[in-house]
Amino acid sequence: MVKPRGTDGSLLSSLPWTLAALALSIAPHLPYLPVWVIAAFFGCAAWRYLIEKRRRALPSVWLRAGLALACFLGVFATYATISGVGPGSALLAVMASLKLLETRQRRDQFVLLFISIFLVMSSLLREQYLWSLPYLLVSILVIMTAWLRMSATAGETARQSFSTGGRLLLYAAPVAIAMWVFFPRIATPFWAVPMDTGTARTGISDSMSPGDISSLSSSDAVAFRVRFDDTVPAPRDLYWRGLVLAVFNGRSWTQNDPFEGPRSFEEIEVRGEPVSYEITLEPTRQPWIFALDIPDSWTLERTVMGPQHQLARATPVDQRIAYRAISYVDYSTNVDLTEYARSWYLRLPADGNPRSRTLAREMRESAGSDTAYIESVIRKFNEEEYFYTLQPPALGSNATDEFLFDTRRGFCEHYASAFAVLMRAAGIPARIVLGYQGGELNPISGHMTVRQSDAHAWNEVWIDGRGWYRLDPTAAVAPDRIDYGVSDAAFEGFGAAWGFAAPSRIMHRLTLAWDAMNAKWNDWVLGYGPENQGKFMEWMGMEDPSWRKLMLTMIAVVFIIVAIVSLLLALRYRSPAKDPAAQLFQRFARKAGLEPQIGETAAQYAMRLGQLHVLPETTIESVTKAYHDARYGPDDDSALKRLKIAVAASSRQRLPSLPAR
Amino acid sequence: MSSIPSPFPSVLVRSLRTNALDRVGRWARKRQGMDPNTTRLRPGRVYILPTGVGIVFGIMVFAMLLGSMNYTNNLSFVLTFMLIGIGLVSMHQCQRNLVGLELSFAGAAAVHAGQILRVSIAVTNHSKNTRYGIRLYREGMRTDALVLQAGESKVFTLHVPTNRRGWINLDRFGVRTVFPFELFRSWAWLHMDIRGLVYPRPAENAPEPPPTMVAHGHRQHDARGEEDFAGLRKYQVGDSPKHVAWKAYARSGQLLSKQFAGADTSSQWFSFSDLTVADLEQRLSILTRWIVDADRSLEDYGLRLPGAEFAPAHGEAHKRQCLEALALFDSSAS
Repeated sequence: MVKPRGTDGSLLSSLPWTLAALALSIAPHLPYLPVWVIAAFFGCAAWRYLIEKRRRALPSVWLRAGLALACFLGVFATYATISGVGPGSALLAVMASLKLLETRQRRDQFVLLFISIFLVMSSLLREQYLWSLPYLLVSILVIMTAWLRMSATAGETARQSFSTGGRLLLYAAPVAIAMWVFFPRIATPFWAVPMDTGTARTGISDSMSPGDISSLSSSDAVAFRVRFDDTVPAPRDLYWRGLVLAVFNGRSWTQNDPFEGPRSFEEIEVRGEPVSYEITLEPTRQPWIFALDIPDSWTLERTVMGPQHQLARATPVDQRIAYRAISYVDYSTNVDLTEYARSWYLRLPADGNPRSRTLAREMRESAGSDTAYIESVIRKFNEEEYFYTLQPPALGSNATDEFLFDTRRGFCEHYASAFAVLMRAAGIPARIVLGYQGGELNPISGHMTVRQSDAHAWNEVWIDGRGWYRLDPTAAVAPDRIDYGVSDAAFEGFGAAWGFAAPSRIMHRLTLAWDAMNAKWNDWVLGYGPENQGKFMEWMGMEDPSWRKLMLTMIAVVFIIVAIVSLLLALRYRSPAKDPAAQLFQRFARKAGLEPQIGETAAQYAMRLGQLHVLPETTIESVTKAYHDARYGPDDDSALKRLKIAVAASSRQRLPSLPAR
Repeated sequence: MSSIPSPFPSVLVRSLRTNALDRVGRWARKRQGMDPNTTRLRPGRVYILPTGVGIVFGIMVFAMLLGSMNYTNNLSFVLTFMLIGIGLVSMHQCQRNLVGLELSFAGAAAVHAGQILRVSIAVTNHSKNTRYGIRLYREGMRTDALVLQAGESKVFTLHVPTNRRGWINLDRFGVRTVFPFELFRSWAWLHMDIRGLVYPRPAENAPEPPPTMVAHGHRQHDARGEEDFAGLRKYQVGDSPKHVAWKAYARSGQLLSKQFAGADTSSQWFSFSDLTVADLEQRLSILTRWIVDADRSLEDYGLRLPGAEFAPAHGEAHKRQCLEALALFDSSAS
């Protein structure tokens, strides 16, 4: 059956709200959606609105079917899959666009609002910021108002719908909070979830090519936040170990193939006090887990330490995760390095970078010992004209040679790479560690924020008798970089350069406050998992919280809240108390045994009652007069009292019933 | 007004559904007893069930809960629990939207068989809160949904199809609402003593009415130009104002009409026994047709039934008397 396609403008009261709900729920997806999907959605929304406004006909079935086919093929062509948040939200947006074009009746908008809800949900799966919560609440309010508009009866204004929606949301909020707090959180998901593989990875990559165009992140984005249990280590000890690169092809450093490289574990000997802390790692979509050098233990499932003390998780970090770890800043590795491993850490390409190799050999010979050679290389970086810059020039084919002898400008990657090449060329095993260095302590919340701009590369060299030893050639060039961190240096420079230290200091404080809020938000809202929930329950006095106890508590609390809401609603809908005088007169009527008629005045009733001869005329008269005085007389209680007495007295004054005729 | 689109396509399922509804209805009738013709809805008699949309909503929220648990995503938990909260709150809101409403039977004008009896039900919102989306329904029809402002009273009209003369009862009707989100439907059944009178159906092709008997009274067109005054009777709707005894009214406060004898009136007698048609209902139908036609042409007519006689007259009251007699005519009783 072909449905009629014409519109009559009957949707004009609800369609704008539905469109607003859809637009709001699609907004967080805009940066991720293909342009054609965005265009299709807004195009269809405007088109549908104009159709309704001008009372035109909806597009034909064939046009709609063609558009639908094109859109679904388009999504498939863009993503090559339909699972995952990216393609899923694109599909939802496309479905909303198409459904708009066949929305004929008010009730068809249900589907659109369901799609809105799913779009909001998928945006939350993608990212959860501090503003996500207010956004979420506003979205629900608009969706629910649109819902009310859709099912509104004639004569119900948008304002009424909006306030009804807001009121119901207010009633629903305590229920939601109680459920959120008590709903038992589980540690492991039921099934593996395909996360959006299309999204760019962030943070540190698993290789580095110092010769290529500068790619160091100067982004202020947070990499992770740390909360130390006790003392905060000194800035020079804040090396956050990530991954280890050991293979050099003359231009790029990469990790070794785990099946090929040195696989024997190096034993660690730790000294001094342990540092325990908790890290909240932002999603990187990579498996690396960062910890203070050197991690001794950590609480993260499916996470193992590689042979080079790098931590990695079996699955990429697709969501913000929190874990605790204990590290020792003072440590040494064991003294044995197998011949195979030694050869591995000495490998250089057969040719290339000839000047560097010659330099290494000469310096090693003149130094006499390995340690003296290392010191002399560090001194070379420190004393000769080498500059730390985030915008180094690109390098040619012999990148190390060009950097060491010609350009002499670079950042940590350049120094670490050149240093490793110089070490290996002189027969000293060396490797590169990628991670973060430093971090900014937030004075408001006490946590430390490590940003993408703190990403760093440093070296580890093997010294016979001491094991792997950390060396940071960048520190030799830009010691401030290590002692204060990038952000502080940049901040001071900025303030001094523009001569307004005070406002920028305020800005800095605001930034810190915002960061502190985010940290709390992450810890207590986004990170409210099994562990935090258990802690919170114990704090609230629940002994040994189990999911069973939590579930029962949740049901009980929700029940109580709903009962209170029901009571509030009952109060809202109660009928106003009747006039006390009218109530007394009614009682009088009941006693007299004569039902007042609708629309009958007290005087008329009294006359009718008088004819029945059940009460003396005087009684009827006194009650009626008192009633009139109480209702229409001066505003005092005396008449009401008289009425009360008269009514009470009336029952004793019944006349003997007349003999039946 | 619109008929309810049944969500059940198959005839079998529909009959099962009707059967089940009948059972529940009988149970409710037994439980609630008969209602007075003005009834205020107590909470105990407002029933509630999820609608189709509500069930879909529930399934969606459950899926969202599973998703939130799987992704251990605390903000989508917030979304899911907000929706659950809205569902729970809207359930109570939906029920409260009906509780306390006062429904009273406000009359049903008599109709002829085959016409639709319009039963008026006044619904009053005594609370200080607006009630949205209130509609009345009975088997097979429902009224439009209306908004009742605080203290407002509105009259809803229920349509009852009729097919035979006599009293027709509206045993049961309901009031319901899906406010606020159509997730739940709450309703109440009412069993009031609602009766409407159904006149016989006017016959389609009735024989010609009996010839008009012109009663030639003393037509004295003399100088005084007056007809013979015959007495007073109670004023009836339709009597000419010229015939009202205004002096008597001034004295007694009672409206009386002057009756004249020998007035030049053409009057007809419609007699049950004169009709030759065998079928009783057909006879009554023919009489009804004659009465309706005579009334339309403002002629006087009288009606003779076995056991009852209405002297020739005209007017709304006379017509109603005659039609009522026909509607309730019981041949066995006479």
